[in-house]
Amino acid sequence: MSLEEAHARWQESTSALGERSAYKRVWDRQAGEFDVASLAVGGFMGEETLDQRAQGTIATLRKTIGLHGEDVVLEIGCGIARVGKPLSRLCLHWFGADISGGMLGHAAKRLKDCPNTTLVELATVGLQEFPGDAFDVVYCTVVFMHLFEWDRYRYVEEAMRVLRPGGRAYFDNFPLDSEHGWQVFSQGAMYPLANRPAHLSMSSSREELLAYMTRAGFAEVVIHDLPNGLIAATGRKPDE
Amino acid sequence: MSAAGGDPVERAATLQAELDAVKRREASFRAKMVHEFLERGERNTYMHTLREERAALVKRGQEASSDLEVLTRKLEASSQRAEAAQSEIERIKASFWWRIARMFVPAPAPVRAPRAVTIPPAEGGAFTYYFHTSPFRIYRGGTFTLRGWAWPEAGGAITAIRANLDGRLFAGRLGREEPEVIARYGPQPANPKPGFEVSFETLPGRHMLAIEAQVAGAEWRTIMCTSIWCEPGSP
Repeated sequence: MSLEEAHARWQESTSALGERSAYKRVWDRQAGEFDVASLAVGGFMGEETLDQRAQGTIATLRKTIGLHGEDVVLEIGCGIARVGKPLSRLCLHWFGADISGGMLGHAAKRLKDCPNTTLVELATVGLQEFPGDAFDVVYCTVVFMHLFEWDRYRYVEEAMRVLRPGGRAYFDNFPLDSEHGWQVFSQGAMYPLANRPAHLSMSSSREELLAYMTRAGFAEVVIHDLPNGLIAATGRKPDE
Repeated sequence: MSAAGGDPVERAATLQAELDAVKRREASFRAKMVHEFLERGERNTYMHTLREERAALVKRGQEASSDLEVLTRKLEASSQRAEAAQSEIERIKASFWWRIARMFVPAPAPVRAPRAVTIPPAEGGAFTYYFHTSPFRIYRGGTFTLRGWAWPEAGGAITAIRANLDGRLFAGRLGREEPEVIARYGPQPANPKPGFEVSFETLPGRHMLAIEAQVAGAEWRTIMCTSIWCEPGSP
C-alpha cells in the first residue's frame, strides 16, 4: 500500500470527535489493515522505520527510568507493539495491553518470534485485567494525546496499583511549548469544526502530568523535557 | 549463599551474581503470577475473544463435517439406487426377449463384478464418539490417519480399535489423552484416555470404511461405517 493510499484509508477509518471516549471502537476501526494501523499509531510505516523509532523510545526509557534484564514490563496502549518488539529482548517479560483487539492482532503477528511477550486486550479504560504489585516497569508512550484527561489519570492510578513497590512508571505526551508540540496542535486546529476526528491529538502540560503522578501517590516524580519535543513524567512506587 | 573466599572483589562479585539470580527468580515468579491471573480471569477480553473464535472455528469444522456426512449418505443412497438399476438391467438382459433383441445389436462389453468384501464390517454399536480428522472427505494421499475419541454408551472399556476397509484390517492405537473431552463429559472410568488413532491405506477408487472397536476384549462393534472415495493426486 502506498503512503497516499494508507493516508486515504486512514481518513476513511476515523471516527467523529464525539466518539472519542469509545476508545475500543475508534481504534478497532483504524486497525483494519496493518499499514493503516501502523500509520494511525505512529504516523509512519515500514518495519525498519518502526524499529528505528522504537529504539528512540527505548533510549528515552533507559535514560529516564532505566531498563534491566530482570524487569517485568507492562506497556499501556502498546498498539502494534512498535516498542514492545525490540524492548522484549531487553527484559525478562514484556506485557502489552491495548484496548483495541484489532491492533493486538497486528502486534501478535509482529511478536511471533518473541516468546517472552504477552498481549492483553483491555475491556475498558484501566488495567483491571492485571493483578496488583506485579510489574517492575509500567510505561505509556504516545497514548495520552488520544485520551481525555480523566482517562489519562485512570491509567496513572492503575499503574500505581499494578507496579510492585519500588517499580518505575513513565508517561509522556506533547506539550504546547515545544516546536513539535505546537506543530501537532496546529495540524489539529486545521480540521474543520465538524470533521474533527476522535483520535485528534491533545496536549498535556507539565503541571497536569505532575498532578497525576503526585495524586496517584508516586514518589521521586520528575518531569522530563525530551529531545523529541515531548514531555514525560516518571516516578517510583514507594516501598512498603 | 556461598560468598566464601579471601578476595573482597571476588566476594562482592559472587554476592552480586547471587543477588541478580534472586531478582530474576522473583521477577519470573511475578510474570508467572500475571499469566495465572490472566488465564484464570474472565476479565481478559483478548483471551476470551480468542477462546470464542476457537470455539466458533471448531463449531464450523463440525458443521462442515456434518454437511459432508449428509452428502456422503446421499451419494451412498444414489449409488445403491444405481446398483439396483444395474441389477434390473442385468435381469432384463437375461430375459428371453432381450436375447431375441440382442441378435440385432452388437454385444456389449462384459460388466466387471464388484469386488468381494472379505471381512464384512462388525455389527454396529452405540458409541459416543467424535473424529478430529473427519472421514468424510475425498482421500488424496496414499494413507490416512483418523484421530478421534469414543466410548460405548452402555459402558465397558474399548480394548482395541481398527479400521476395516473393504475387509482389510488396520490396527489402531488407543490411549490418547483427551483432556477437553473429559472436562466436558466428565471422567470416563472405563476409558480414562478415550482418544485413538488409526492409519489405513487409501487405494484409488470407492471403498467401504468401518471404524471398529473391541469392547471389553470380546466382540467387535462398528463405531461408524461409510463409503469413501480415494482419488490420489487429484487437486
